Amino acid sequence: MTETLVEVEQLRKEFGNVRALDGVSFAVDAGEWIAIMGPSGSGKTTLINILGGLDTPTSGRAIVDQTDLARLDEAGLTRFRAEKIGFIFQQFHLVPYLTALENVMLAQYFHSTTDEHEARAELERVGLGDRLDHLPGELSGGEQQRVAVARALINQPKLILADEPTGNLDEANEQIVLGLLRKLHSERHTILMVTHAPQIGALADRRIDLHHGRLAPAPARV
Amino acid sequence: MFGRLLWKLLRSNLPRLAVALVAVTSGATVISALLDLQFDIDRKLTQEFRALGANVVISRAHSGLALGANEPRSEVRGSPSLMDQAPVLAAIERTRTSDVVAAAPFLYIVARAEATPVVVAGTWLDQTPTLDPTWKLEGRWVRSREDQTSCLIGRNVARQFKLAPPGDLDLQYLDHHAQVRVAGVIDAGGAEDNQVFVNLPVAEKLANVGDQIQLVEMSIQGTGTTITRRMAQLAVELPDDEVRPIRAATEAEGKLLDRTRLLIALMVALILVLTALCVLATMAALAMERRKDVGLMKALGGSMARIVGLFLAEVSTLGAVGGLIGCAMGMVLARWVGQRVFGASINPPWDIFPLTTVLMMGVALAGALPLRFLGKVKPAVILRGE
Repeated sequence: MTETLVEVEQLRKEFGNVRALDGVSFAVDAGEWIAIMGPSGSGKTTLINILGGLDTPTSGRAIVDQTDLARLDEAGLTRFRAEKIGFIFQQFHLVPYLTALENVMLAQYFHSTTDEHEARAELERVGLGDRLDHLPGELSGGEQQRVAVARALINQPKLILADEPTGNLDEANEQIVLGLLRKLHSERHTILMVTHAPQIGALADRRIDLHHGRLAPAPARV
Repeated sequence: MFGRLLWKLLRSNLPRLAVALVAVTSGATVISALLDLQFDIDRKLTQEFRALGANVVISRAHSGLALGANEPRSEVRGSPSLMDQAPVLAAIERTRTSDVVAAAPFLYIVARAEATPVVVAGTWLDQTPTLDPTWKLEGRWVRSREDQTSCLIGRNVARQFKLAPPGDLDLQYLDHHAQVRVAGVIDAGGAEDNQVFVNLPVAEKLANVGDQIQLVEMSIQGTGTTITRRMAQLAVELPDDEVRPIRAATEAEGKLLDRTRLLIALMVALILVLTALCVLATMAALAMERRKDVGLMKALGGSMARIVGLFLAEVSTLGAVGGLIGCAMGMVLARWVGQRVFGASINPPWDIFPLTTVLMMGVALAGALPLRFLGKVKPAVILRGE
């Protein structure tokens, strides 16, 4: 029997008079790869932020791995992010003065304790074994995003949230990162990926289309 | 990982932190120098004060002697004012410590020289240069208290009797005579300029009062508390005699010391505030630059305790390094000031190192107040690039 990892019920998020999410409901099974698609301003990133504990809903419920995020305080959300979520951002968001290895170890440090050997292995897994001591500024965009993938995976999170992970990459690097996501999917990681590109969305098991903060009537299975 | 992150944080903001480091180091230098002076100032100033001469007098209780620093020494007044020399000097020796710079007994008589009355002070002439260091001398000091052939004369006496070293002076008291040779002429700027100073045995023989004195003058080094303690010890040893401060001198010394201490304390406080403001300005700019890093660290699950702990460790390191460098520089500065002002080097105590370092770490942490705004950083907002 497949376990439900993410459950969203009537989720609303308002920023002043702007309703970013308006009664969104869906569920994601463990091991699924979901593409969240929609035009700019449709609420994709807001949804990802709420599921990642970076933001809180105005109303409704968001349950990840049996944790009701609305019930967590600031410290609880911080712990939740450290233990259950792996983020991959469009802008990579690496710490510029830390090496590739230290950027990965930073996530370990905030999770529990650091293990340099494990961090090296994770970077080798994404093909950066020879770039361990390079600063982000010395890496290409694709390499930086691979460091971000290694950082997202280092604590074995329950859920990987990727916000336009290939949005800043050229085609060659895009293929490398997509190859990594495919590999993660095959290893039964659960991935929620925001993307604009239909051909990338097509790689996922399922699409969730958002329009003006609501689920659009789109085909559920790709 | 903590140490690794701390090192990287320090390296990544070197130019900006260097500004704060210069502020902390400068503050620490001046504070360290002031504290060095503060700790050594009592010793230095009391040494300076001792150049003013005696500050404690021992005399027969209720003798009527009430000598001030510049009052003329009185002539011998008969037996009620005399003390036995031996027990008084023995008590002084029993309680003597390194604080006692000089001590000398005095016996005054009004003798005659060439039929003219002149005040003769019998004392220990070897103590005179230390007991009255401000006196100017033409000729030489008498270096032995056993020398019964030499004397010092005041400049008015020298003028009156047209005497200069090595002239001879014939002293007469009742039917006793003593002939002494002038070793030096003193210029004291006071009543002493009218007196003749001989070693005590000479005066005792003239007055025929064997082993008796009128008073003992002492120059005791130290703060008001030290001097009071020494006087109390002497008073216990000499219950029949009176141990008095030369009040004008001791009170002035005490007030000057208190004011100097207050001035230094105020300056240290002012410099601490100014240094904290410098660090505050740097840290405010740094906090703005760090918003993105903090947003990311929070997104990765970093607790505020861990994140702020890193930044506070960075600031503490800044304070400690600035404090240690400044402390070493302050010691050099204090030595220089000591040479210039007191003509002798200050000996800074090693306690200044931890004290200054802890002070500067505290100041740096106080200046890091803007970092608390990092707690309000919303990771979602920062990651959106706002």
